[in-house]
Amino acid sequence: MKKATVAGLVTLGSVLAVTLTACGNSNSNSASSSSSTSATKISFPAKMNNTKSSVSGGNLTYGLVMATSFKGIFNEELSTDTGDSTIMQFGAEPLFKTDKNYKIIDGGAANLKLDQKAKTATITINPKAKWSDGQPVVADDVVYAYKILANKETQSQRYTDSLQNIVGLADYHTGKSDQISGIQTPDGGTGKTVVLHFQVMKPGMAYSGNGYYWEAAAPYHYLKDVPFKDLQSSPKIRKNPVFFGPYKLNKLVSGQSTEWVPNEYYYGAKPKLKSITASVVSPNTAPSAIKSHSYDIIGVNNDQYPNVKNTKGVTFIGNKPLSYSYLAFKVGKWDDKKGENVEDKNAKMNDPKLRQAIAYAMNIDQVDQKFYHDLNFRVNTLIPENFTKYYDKSAKGFPYNLKKAEDILDKAGYKKGKDGYRTTPKGKKLTITIASYATNSAKEAAIKNYIQQWKKIGLDVQLLNGRLTEPNSFYDKLQSDSKDIDMYIAGWSLSSEASPNDLYNPKAPFNYGRMNNPEQTKLLADIDSQKAFNDSYRIQAFKKWQEWMNKEAYVVPMTNQWSVSAVNNRVKDYGVGVTDAGGANIGAWADVSVTSNSLQTK
Amino acid sequence: MWKTILRRVLLMIPQIIILSLFVFILAKMMPGDPFTGLINPQTSASQIAQIRQEAGLNDPWPVQYFRWVGNALHGNFGLSYQFHKPVIDLISERAVNTLYLAVFSVILTYLISIPLGIWAGRYQGSLIDNSIQFYNFVSISVPSFVWYLLAIALFGFVWHIFPTSGSVSVQASGFIGVTLSRLYHIILPGVLIALMSTAGNIQYLRSGIIDNQLEDYVRTARSKGVPERVVFNKHILRNSLLPIAAFFGNVITGLLGGSVFAETIFSYPGMGKLFIDSVQARDYSVMTALIVMYGFLTLLGNLLSDIIMSIVDPRIRID
Repeated sequence: MKKATVAGLVTLGSVLAVTLTACGNSNSNSASSSSSTSATKISFPAKMNNTKSSVSGGNLTYGLVMATSFKGIFNEELSTDTGDSTIMQFGAEPLFKTDKNYKIIDGGAANLKLDQKAKTATITINPKAKWSDGQPVVADDVVYAYKILANKETQSQRYTDSLQNIVGLADYHTGKSDQISGIQTPDGGTGKTVVLHFQVMKPGMAYSGNGYYWEAAAPYHYLKDVPFKDLQSSPKIRKNPVFFGPYKLNKLVSGQSTEWVPNEYYYGAKPKLKSITASVVSPNTAPSAIKSHSYDIIGVNNDQYPNVKNTKGVTFIGNKPLSYSYLAFKVGKWDDKKGENVEDKNAKMNDPKLRQAIAYAMNIDQVDQKFYHDLNFRVNTLIPENFTKYYDKSAKGFPYNLKKAEDILDKAGYKKGKDGYRTTPKGKKLTITIASYATNSAKEAAIKNYIQQWKKIGLDVQLLNGRLTEPNSFYDKLQSDSKDIDMYIAGWSLSSEASPNDLYNPKAPFNYGRMNNPEQTKLLADIDSQKAFNDSYRIQAFKKWQEWMNKEAYVVPMTNQWSVSAVNNRVKDYGVGVTDAGGANIGAWADVSVTSNSLQTK
Repeated sequence: MWKTILRRVLLMIPQIIILSLFVFILAKMMPGDPFTGLINPQTSASQIAQIRQEAGLNDPWPVQYFRWVGNALHGNFGLSYQFHKPVIDLISERAVNTLYLAVFSVILTYLISIPLGIWAGRYQGSLIDNSIQFYNFVSISVPSFVWYLLAIALFGFVWHIFPTSGSVSVQASGFIGVTLSRLYHIILPGVLIALMSTAGNIQYLRSGIIDNQLEDYVRTARSKGVPERVVFNKHILRNSLLPIAAFFGNVITGLLGGSVFAETIFSYPGMGKLFIDSVQARDYSVMTALIVMYGFLTLLGNLLSDIIMSIVDPRIRID
């Protein structure tokens, strides 16, 4: 399971970190690819370039920038907090190793083998893998993770629809069965093999973060005596968790800081640090902490980057996270009875021409430069470029072009009235309300700027209540399909499996625009169809979907932003790429070391 | 007097009930719920509905309210939605931190404000008085968080004298080590809170002393030839301390209140910070428990203040 590590460190700008909290299905870390089609002027290395020799017995300090305390649930099946998963990353290693495309490969604590015909996944545990209390990792541990997820008593929020693809898991969840029939241990509970039986095989299953199976294990021998309903509050999870990663939790100050020391039973390379201290740092004081060299590794809030960028002794490394912000249009309603989105053909915003014009009138590049110091950059499709295979490089997106916008509206019959504003093709007054919520200081100014651009093409756009909406109210209004909102700007963080099905299919409650277009549904289904096991077919399917989405403009891709960390120059072998420590990759934390006993200040 | 105290305590019960009802309804009226933004796109609509159902959020609010009251009467304030921990455990964990900080800063507040108040009153119009007045003016007119930020920047980040966050270092071990580490963490916020909260006390004391000097009984004492030291300590000072004593009950119960500003800026995990975080996360159970507790403490503080007044000032009777 990949962790949403760096995501905890940065303010995600216009991106709401909805999926970050559920890190099992998400991964905001990614290799920073240097070949970018959007013209970013700033670029950050993904990895530290420190060639000095490491000192032994180094202590590394890690600053976790967040406004609240971390929750302290050190168990992957129960935790929903980005803070917790960031803190846990030193010990809670995922089961499977991945390559830079997030594809699962051999070499981790367990290997995975998919069998398409038999509809199974066979998990083979590395015989050397041991928990930090010295017990071997066994088949029971893998099975127990599913029981924690699916048992209602644990109240885990990580149990999802996708997981129900495992045969018998739904029956276990509802209590019909006390065993999970589709999870078998051919060599017995203390053996090293687990076989998962699926109802349907999906093309995404070869990739980490796909959500169809779980990518962590839970120490059965250690937790079996704790009743499921007491698990969340058990000291075995809160205070003395057991992990199989390179470091283990040594000391804990609840909600504030943790100290990690090497796990002597770690199956991989010997960890190089004597200890890692990870503490919460308030966003208010984070810039001072960077400037005063208080931490070896600390996230940078993009708003504050200009204040700290000249700090000496520090290297700024970064990646482009798996996320994007978007402008979407309300075209329908969620129907609770049917459990799906119902599109209204007559909705005000249900005209692709109008939507395209609105998109072309946004001067995103200028805004990114002026307000976001180029740390934000425009994206051209709804698939982030880190999905190198599936990303459509040739997609144009919606580059700023007022004339084109006006032409589109003229042709579509939106005539300008005497007041300079356009009416609908039927001659009715057209006022469009936009909503968004505050994430950074520049956002309101940026949106007001877009409103001016829209005014230039004759569209009367109003910001809901004249200001940004408080995030809770904003999502409340979106979910309940409030009539106040015609279009909105929000964001998504994505899982490391690229399929956009969870966000845009007609049955997805997170399809907040409420589009339900049969053509799109078919294109989406194609991406996850049986044919898509052929990768070139899947690549084509992704391409077609991206093209269609840009043509119909139900959802307009806007920006992504660099996720930056300030790392002291004494740190060696740390990086935020997919295969680096900051990407929570197997064994990567064991390699991280320091090359001096005190933090560098010059 | 005991009868009166009992009556006052009994009267608190309906007051607390009304408060809790009020708080509960207001909390429910806030947009969003504890799961807003937590559920991810891989969760299906039915799954979301089920999570809300299991948390009891779909019940009508009176049902939710009485369930909450029923549990609260058994000392069970429920589980925190965001920490998945019993609210009582959470509050007691934070209350200890806040108590350390508050006791430290309250003692310091009195240590600073009483001598300064006496000086200012006794030497009214002098250079000392003017300096103290100026300090009062600054401490009350510049918002406290400005000083907090300035202090944390200088003492924490520039000079590295004091820690900049937390209540205790993770490296501290042993009882003495932990206690010293705790003390080390509260010095900076504690001193600043104390410096920022002296104005009221100084002002009460100063004007009390100035007013009392003109009272008849002071003139009588002086004309009887009572030594000036005795006149000041016995007649003027004791009477001037009364307004400060009038708030003392609230000060005692307020020790648990926590300071939202100071705790947020110093990332000090106390009650104030817990409160703010719970409101932002829509953690209904923690939020309502805290407000009801604050309400109870305020009522108790008022009662305590009255009792204290009746002890220190024999002219006042409770009945």
